[in-house]
Amino acid sequence: MNNTQTVSVTYDDKVVRYFMLAAVLWGLVAMLAGVLIAAQMSFYVLNFDTSWLTFGRLRPLHTNAAIFAFVGNMMFAGIYHSTQRLVRTRLASGFLSWLHFWGWQLIIVGAAITLPLGFTRGKEYAELIWPINIAVALIWVVFAINFFWTLAVRNEKSLYVAIWFYIATIITVAMLYIVNHLSLPTSLLHSYPIFGGVQDALVQWWYGHNAVAFFLTTPILGIMYYYLPKAAERPVYSYRLSVVHFWSLVFIYIWAGPHHLLNTALPEWLQTLGMVFSLMLWAPSWGGMLNGLLTLRGAWHKLRTDPVLKFFAAGVTFYGMSTFEGPLLAIRSVNALSHYTDWTIGHVHSGTLGWNSFMAAGMFYWLTPRLWGTRLYSTKLADLHFWLGMVGILLYIAAMWVSGITTGLMLNSVTSEGVLAYPNFLEVVNSVRPMLHMRILGGALFLFGFILMAYNLVRTIRTGKPVTTTVEVPAPERRTAEGMSLAGGLFNAPMLYSVLLVVFACLWGFAGGAVSTVSFVLMVETVLVAMIHLSISGAKWSQWYDRLLESWLPFTVLTLLAVVIGGAIQILPLVFSRQAVDYEQAMQYVYTPLELCGRDIYVREGCYNCHSQMIRPLVGEVLRYGPSGRLGESLYDHPFQWGSKRTGPDLARVGGKYPNAWHFQHFENPRSTSIGSNMPAYPWLYRRTADIGALPEKIRVLRVLGVPFPERSTEQIREEFLAQGREIAGDLEKGGVRISPDKEVIALIAYMQQLGKFKPDAEKQASAD
Amino acid sequence: MKQQTNPEDDALRHHTYDGIQEYDKRLPNWWLFTLYGAIAFSAAYWAYYHWSAHMVPGYVRVERQIEEIQKAALATGAAPTDVQLWRLSGDPAVVAAGQKIYTANCVACHGENLEGGIGQNLVDGQWIHGGKPTDIYNTVTKGVLEKGMPVWGPVLGAARIADVTAFIISKNPTIQKPPEE
Repeated sequence: MNNTQTVSVTYDDKVVRYFMLAAVLWGLVAMLAGVLIAAQMSFYVLNFDTSWLTFGRLRPLHTNAAIFAFVGNMMFAGIYHSTQRLVRTRLASGFLSWLHFWGWQLIIVGAAITLPLGFTRGKEYAELIWPINIAVALIWVVFAINFFWTLAVRNEKSLYVAIWFYIATIITVAMLYIVNHLSLPTSLLHSYPIFGGVQDALVQWWYGHNAVAFFLTTPILGIMYYYLPKAAERPVYSYRLSVVHFWSLVFIYIWAGPHHLLNTALPEWLQTLGMVFSLMLWAPSWGGMLNGLLTLRGAWHKLRTDPVLKFFAAGVTFYGMSTFEGPLLAIRSVNALSHYTDWTIGHVHSGTLGWNSFMAAGMFYWLTPRLWGTRLYSTKLADLHFWLGMVGILLYIAAMWVSGITTGLMLNSVTSEGVLAYPNFLEVVNSVRPMLHMRILGGALFLFGFILMAYNLVRTIRTGKPVTTTVEVPAPERRTAEGMSLAGGLFNAPMLYSVLLVVFACLWGFAGGAVSTVSFVLMVETVLVAMIHLSISGAKWSQWYDRLLESWLPFTVLTLLAVVIGGAIQILPLVFSRQAVDYEQAMQYVYTPLELCGRDIYVREGCYNCHSQMIRPLVGEVLRYGPSGRLGESLYDHPFQWGSKRTGPDLARVGGKYPNAWHFQHFENPRSTSIGSNMPAYPWLYRRTADIGALPEKIRVLRVLGVPFPERSTEQIREEFLAQGREIAGDLEKGGVRISPDKEVIALIAYMQQLGKFKPDAEKQASAD
Repeated sequence: MKQQTNPEDDALRHHTYDGIQEYDKRLPNWWLFTLYGAIAFSAAYWAYYHWSAHMVPGYVRVERQIEEIQKAALATGAAPTDVQLWRLSGDPAVVAAGQKIYTANCVACHGENLEGGIGQNLVDGQWIHGGKPTDIYNTVTKGVLEKGMPVWGPVLGAARIADVTAFIISKNPTIQKPPEE
């Protein structure tokens, strides 16, 4: 390099230090909450009969803290630290960096207060209430502006692969978050999602699956691409593997969401898409693992002494394991066994504990000594952390495999007589009690290791002082001449072939008849022509890509295109065309005011964390719970409550199965009606008076969203509510129980008793459209 | 630890990022095979399932399966008679099995000593839905939905309902021995 002009750059590492320490702190909170809720499943008394300590409210706290507080802060630390160095410039705006930091911490505190109090949207990993949603979106935009602004003023021409993953993260999370959080408020603290029933299910799992992809995976891959070669002091294994696995990963990931809804009432074509795209995701995921592990070639001996590399190597290995397990679980027949069981929980934790937390630990151990200009306080302690964590994860996931497969097999098992082999749900739950205990042990070991890390880092920091890094970098040449225009990014041979391929593939897949046949031929031809063209002009194409890497805007637009396609094709047909949904001869009744009130209590208490409302078309389930779920039955449910885990039985058809008195006793003390149950008791439902005053506005909002509630005055709503409440209270009185008809438990019983009631859909089209 | 390989293969890309260098290795063949294999399989799977005329909605498929299973079950066993149930109630092994089923499924509503609660008393000699052994058997099998008694037939199956009926009979001195056929 014979450029004599240099500029002096001082990196902004203070905000990196803050984000890192916040990640450690929130990591402790998230894991502590995790161990507590795991223990609650074994020992119900740990729910303490206290509303804000029950499992249904704390489980969202655990997941949100782990994802958004722990991994979020860790990601921001890694992105801000590595990006400044990879593009050789200081973060564009100190103000935005600190707004980002404090805004994010405030959001977390808001979540930690509202979730235990029962303020929730009732959608997994999207529970936070609408004012916080808006804050998250705004702070995310602050992050995006700060990041892209930094790219715009960079002193390094070309964008390294880590930056590609950061770009994909920022734009995709923004898209997912905003769409899945679209809501209409009914009050300052409550809102209904604008999507309902199957639409809500589809949007939710498009979001839920890709939150894992673009919040827990792509940013960490970017972090891997910076810190792993740094720590190993080895070159990255393969640049072209980076290119291929990046683009295939971001394009394919988005399509795989419906695998969370396999064997439900979701239309078959969506289920099939969810399954096959999950299978196709296997290789792109392993591309990342390969590039990580093979970069360690020539550095394996360092693993013995360097805790950083130990954590990275194990983290990447767990990434490989869980991205193999993912496609496996997305196979329809495997999913019939695994879905709703602990197997899914184990799968998630091999990702979050094995991949996220281990990569985080490696990064923390690498960063801390460098950011505070000192040496790690104790390598031995870090080693101990590693082994405690490793044993903890293995105990955890092994317990969940055994528990998941055992309960899955038992619940689906049908005797030759044509009846359930294990008719009693609690017998099945209690058969895996030892596994639940083992999970607590695994989680506690992992937490203990993490505490050791926190201690180690604090001691390290005490021996050093915050370091300010200033480097001399070559002054940038004016990029204007070489930078690629947006048109240059969009109109060129590789793009043309990709677009044609997607178009022909979609026509082949969806059009049917002659169009499909012709499209198939065209698709094959496009591949052939593209391959021939590549063999002739491969060098030119890679030049084009090199130039694309020098232009962040076209790169970002192409990434956005890649992630938009899948969701658009899956979701738009269901949103814009009611005809696309076959309601399957079942049509939900519109809730009465009392039932609606009960449903909101069901959502508030987080019942969906343990109970599904979707009977799958499997023999065992139909025998146990009744006819399988139809789309029309949850049509008016904002949000849908199909659930994703059964610690308790499915409730889709529980209405009318038990008398009111049974439910009344059950909520007060679940063990009085269900011996051996691990469900929390809900004594406050008997004390609290239902919020009748909120109902008129709630009903008005639902009417706006298309639910055909009859027109009623506030007074009529109140009267109807009390009339139905008195009916239930009167029925309870026959059994010698006296309770006021406006207590919350009455509303919840009313909701329970109408679950599973529907009418044939003949009259439906008229009323819905 | 320098490895001896094809020197061209080990060429580094000219650009470095904050000191990080990159090889440009060929993609491993087995990895490419996995990628292409998954794509080919997915296309074939889609073609087979999405375009197959045999594809029926899940709820129709499962109803057919259950119909077949229940037909087969019907062919193998008929409902027990009063006499058979009475005899079972004298078999300690059957009664013990029935008691287990009772404890797991019935106790919550009918009480530990069959004294009733949410559900009816089963030892007071009063039978709203009939007190013959087969009446009890049928009540358990078909349930009494309007009174909150669930349908146990498809859940427990004939054999276990016979066991639990035998247990209930054994606790009820008021039930008369049916005349032998």
